[in-house]
Amino acid sequence: MRTRGAILLANIITGLALGYTVTNIGFGDYAELNRMFTFQDLRMFLAFAGAVVIIVCVFALLRVRRTHGRIHAGVIPGAVLFGTGWAISGGCPAIPIIQVASGYLPAVVTIAGVVVGIRLCRWANARYLHVDSGSCGL
Amino acid sequence: MSTYWPWWAGAIGLALVTIAYTLATDRSFGVSSAWDRVLHWRRERDLERLEEEFTDERALADALAAATAEHFGTSPSAPTSPHSPYEQTQPQDPNVEPTAAESPSVTTLRPVPVVTQAALLVSIFLGGLIAAVTSGRFELRFDMGPGFQNLVTANPTTMIALLFVGGVLVGFGTRLAGGCSSGHGLSGCGRLSPVSIVATAVFFGTAVAVSFLLWKVI
Repeated sequence: MRTRGAILLANIITGLALGYTVTNIGFGDYAELNRMFTFQDLRMFLAFAGAVVIIVCVFALLRVRRTHGRIHAGVIPGAVLFGTGWAISGGCPAIPIIQVASGYLPAVVTIAGVVVGIRLCRWANARYLHVDSGSCGL
Repeated sequence: MSTYWPWWAGAIGLALVTIAYTLATDRSFGVSSAWDRVLHWRRERDLERLEEEFTDERALADALAAATAEHFGTSPSAPTSPHSPYEQTQPQDPNVEPTAAESPSVTTLRPVPVVTQAALLVSIFLGGLIAAVTSGRFELRFDMGPGFQNLVTANPTTMIALLFVGGVLVGFGTRLAGGCSSGHGLSGCGRLSPVSIVATAVFFGTAVAVSFLLWKVI
């Protein structure tokens, strides 16, 4: 049984560690990000892919339960929109936060865009799309 | 100013963060989901209150059933407790592994409290700030660096417009797809979830295509 305090502590430590790690890898640096996406420099790509390989192995070893999320109608269009936005602004939802923390003040505008996009998605989904997109973050 | 971490150090760091969070909370971790829940905190707070009420009612029903059994000397029947707001109603197949929305027993895992998700976002900022300051890379600037200027635009107005549009696409797209680079990319792919593998391949492939366009064409 995880207590509320333990979950709060886990989130704080995870946030600190994630912000520290992602900043030191260079994900907040637009030039580095473009070099990764255009395969000019595989360092960040290998960091991401290497992390996935380690996680797969450790989860298999520890028998962490697998998930069988349904590939719903929103996955591919959503991922296309996200990929486009990531390449243009240099930010996935965590990155603009560390960009601001690194001194890139215009990234506040990216955060504002993310906020608008998330609210817009929930509104549009309830009104028009009706996609049960679920959540990976439970 | 120091250089960025080598790939293996980054891989170990990202893996440790994801594995530690999963083991500590028994949940997947996703930043876009945290954003979504924090931005809709009123609804989340109402759901949490509702869940607490249901939990209390279930405890009351269990106590009543036990007292009845003690009084009449019969075994209590299964309490007909109300469904929680997060509970799944699908029939349980013993051969099917629990999904992300189900606990190992009957009811679903409750999402972590919304206040912990707000703490996650604030902590990401603090972790980034510590990294930037200690590495000597922290510098207050009103642009997004030479890379953005060379590849996208050097015009401040266009930069603001593109950052906003890009942010909207990221926010809308991640919620429509049900996750982002941390939720689908690290946690979901780490669990070999088909939906996460598809989502990660598509958003990464799209980002590659758009980045090549910015680099070679525009």
